[in-house]
Amino acid sequence: MTMIVDSNGIETGDFLRVRGPLELKCILDSTDVTLVRKAISRTFENLRYHVNSESCVLRVQDSPVIIWPNKGVHVTPREITTSTMCEELHKWIQTDEQEMAGKRSAKKKGKKSSVARVISLNLMMEVTKPGPLPAPILCKTIQKSHFLSTTLPMDCVVNIRSADTIKDAFEGLLEALTHQLHEMERVMLCHMKGTTLSVPEPFHFLLPESRGLVTAVYPAGVPDSQLEPQRKELHERFELPEDRPYFRRANAYHFPNELYKDGYLRNPHLALTHPTLDDGKVYLVHGLYSYHHYMQDRMDDNGWGCAYRSLQTICSWFQQQGYVERPVPTHKEIQQALVDVGDKQGSFVGSRQWIGSFEVHAVLNQLLGVTSKISFVSQGSEMASKGRELANHFLSEGTPVMIGGGVLAHTILGVAWSETSGQIRFLILDPHYTGAEDLQVITDKGWCGWKGPEFWDQTAYYNMCLPQRPKAI
Amino acid sequence: MGRGYIVDDTVEVYLSKLCEQQSDHVTGLVIGQNSIQRDFVVMACRTPSREEPLVGAGKSPDKEWISEHARQVSRMLPGGLSVIGVFVISDADAKETLASLRQLVFAVQRLISSESLWKADDNEVTDCVTLHINPKSRKISCRTFDIKDPKSLAKPADWKYQAAVCSSWSTMSCCVKVDLLVPLPDNKACTKSMDECLKEGLKVWTYQIENAVCLIDGIQLPDDAELTAGQKRNVRQVLTAQLLVTPAQQDTLRDVVQRCGGALSVRGAIHSRAYVHNNKPKAKLAEKILKKDVVSTMVTRVQMLLDELLAPEDESKGVGTDKPGTEQFCLPHRVFCPAKGNGSLCVCDYRFNDEDPSEVIDRLKEMLDVNAADQNLDTKQEIVAEIIESGESEDSTAEIADVQEPKRNNNYIGVAMATVIALLATAASMLYLHDI
Repeated sequence: MTMIVDSNGIETGDFLRVRGPLELKCILDSTDVTLVRKAISRTFENLRYHVNSESCVLRVQDSPVIIWPNKGVHVTPREITTSTMCEELHKWIQTDEQEMAGKRSAKKKGKKSSVARVISLNLMMEVTKPGPLPAPILCKTIQKSHFLSTTLPMDCVVNIRSADTIKDAFEGLLEALTHQLHEMERVMLCHMKGTTLSVPEPFHFLLPESRGLVTAVYPAGVPDSQLEPQRKELHERFELPEDRPYFRRANAYHFPNELYKDGYLRNPHLALTHPTLDDGKVYLVHGLYSYHHYMQDRMDDNGWGCAYRSLQTICSWFQQQGYVERPVPTHKEIQQALVDVGDKQGSFVGSRQWIGSFEVHAVLNQLLGVTSKISFVSQGSEMASKGRELANHFLSEGTPVMIGGGVLAHTILGVAWSETSGQIRFLILDPHYTGAEDLQVITDKGWCGWKGPEFWDQTAYYNMCLPQRPKAI
Repeated sequence: MGRGYIVDDTVEVYLSKLCEQQSDHVTGLVIGQNSIQRDFVVMACRTPSREEPLVGAGKSPDKEWISEHARQVSRMLPGGLSVIGVFVISDADAKETLASLRQLVFAVQRLISSESLWKADDNEVTDCVTLHINPKSRKISCRTFDIKDPKSLAKPADWKYQAAVCSSWSTMSCCVKVDLLVPLPDNKACTKSMDECLKEGLKVWTYQIENAVCLIDGIQLPDDAELTAGQKRNVRQVLTAQLLVTPAQQDTLRDVVQRCGGALSVRGAIHSRAYVHNNKPKAKLAEKILKKDVVSTMVTRVQMLLDELLAPEDESKGVGTDKPGTEQFCLPHRVFCPAKGNGSLCVCDYRFNDEDPSEVIDRLKEMLDVNAADQNLDTKQEIVAEIIESGESEDSTAEIADVQEPKRNNNYIGVAMATVIALLATAASMLYLHDI
């Protein structure tokens, strides 16, 4: 695995990331396993040769900068030399302001932008060369055999230290590419079954406590469930706890400049300023979730779907932390699950009937295999005393909480609580929002926001569903 | 407002000479470059006479024969130059010949574009010129037709002679490495022939070239930038181009490993050249012209080789008749020769290894009416390919793969291949490659 961290063990926050497809093609003219492996290894060797040759080119996306890392690190435009600081590359990149949808949070005063900057590069090959060169030869082979043809999705990341020159950084990147090809060869040969081969795919994972990025290569088509031994080895190597996943595909690091393809907002609460209570602490949901609310997915559930949406937010959490591969269920799928467990009649499916925290807990169990604790208050005013319980929940489980009572359902994403003064605030994600995925509106108008204990209907009965995190990697 | 053709003086000289010949009528091709504002004509060449004239040919131009001439000539023109019209020298009335000229120019362009891979952009000029010259009065009648429009009517156009039209061109060139590997179908699977497989492989390669990043003299110029910015009008620029490609994305539906009945590989390099007139050429246009030449020269050579290998007996049908084995064939290499005029423009031809250079000279004379002496032939742009004999062992070993790598250049990566010797190619059909 490639581990990128500087000598102080501190992630300095800037990355060089190169991606590009490389063709893996060869004839397998024998079914003898040893010969097949040799042929594949030879082809990988060729690719490594190519990548280390003068034909290998790295192009900085959205800029005129092109680098030949194996020609003494030759760069165009000529203003950039091998001893230019790597950070200078940022000046050459044209950013598209319109793409920065989620970046408005950085403008809030006092909010430190911990967003790492990524310089994206494309891996290319130069097909021209100074001539004269021999004219082409056509070679025809007739023999019953197999043909291996696939594309390797190269994806390497290198951390840039502030003192790094172009030369240092790109030599490091070349090493990473070569290393990744070795890894891909290993993974491909390891998971070979007869003539069935899997495409090796790289994933980057961010280690906790700013220990940097780790890249692992997994065979495509082999599900996470079958790769536990590899993950175990990684957990041991990096001394990570064995009860939560870090290296499932869903845990892969989401680079700051990548957009989410599904269009849902992620973690809108990060745009907020958290309350400061006297002698109080803030306890928040861990990891990533998507904001699900009324009217999304062309589903008009205005007035009845709030608990469904809260449940969807919770499901999205389990999916994005890698505990499940199942995508977020639709309203119908949720209803069907309840019919399947015998909780509802068949006519429930397609109806507009409400559900509550009990149903949420049942669906989480049925569809995701997740258990939940149920908690309640007999009147909303008692929510003020739920500080410790919620704080403990966020500390140990870190999952979003669904709360239903009166006629409304909400999601609790965190709590700010002072043990000494008893002051409490709740971080609420409101599924009743019917507008577009506009972070500004959602945070300004409080659809995701900190609420005081007066937020609850003081006389209503409330149930909470606290999903428990499976202890697995 | 008609088009304006700026024609090199040497063309006038040539056409005059043809007028002085005592033949009934002479037809031929007009060669140059179209651009949005102006068109440039750099040479003209008469169509060689058919050895056995068709019965009942009469005075109307022989469409088929001239179209075939145009098709062959197109292969002999580097990028940027093309057949942009036809001419006829006859004492018939200009108006009378217009109809037949119209038919002729449509037929010519139809045949040429059927071979070409590029669909005309909306920006590209699709007008072709028809020229009628009266040999006695030397009167010129110049009309254009829009070949994209089958109902196109003749439009009048200007035909102006000017000195040194052949001198103000920029030359771009590069040497492109080619490394293709395509599988041949398994016997029972399908009956795709060899050239179809090759065509598919070339399609993918063409797509890569079309989408390649093009550097001119080491820099990627913005699309609208002028190629000759900062240069004086008549200075001849010689520019080196570089192409950077991303391998095409694989369709993920296909299995990583499939059965095959063998494979075809094409490895080597081709020299590509393109000319752009210095009349404010845009970098984007220059890039397109160059890429067009890269693709054409490759396709032309493959086509020529397949034509050569066309077996007298039709062995194409059953792939089962192919005996196992490997066979290698050298594609022809490209040879350049200065065109008429004092400029830097060259025409080209392809020579198979076993052909005498005199055959090239003969072809240049016959097709383009260019007198090339041995010294004028530029054979240095490409090295003649050499087939290195390898052993007939059944196993593919690393040793054999090394031997197949050309000695001169160590940048060819030998993809592991079976080494068994194969059959001759099956019957070849014309390679029609269309846009992806």
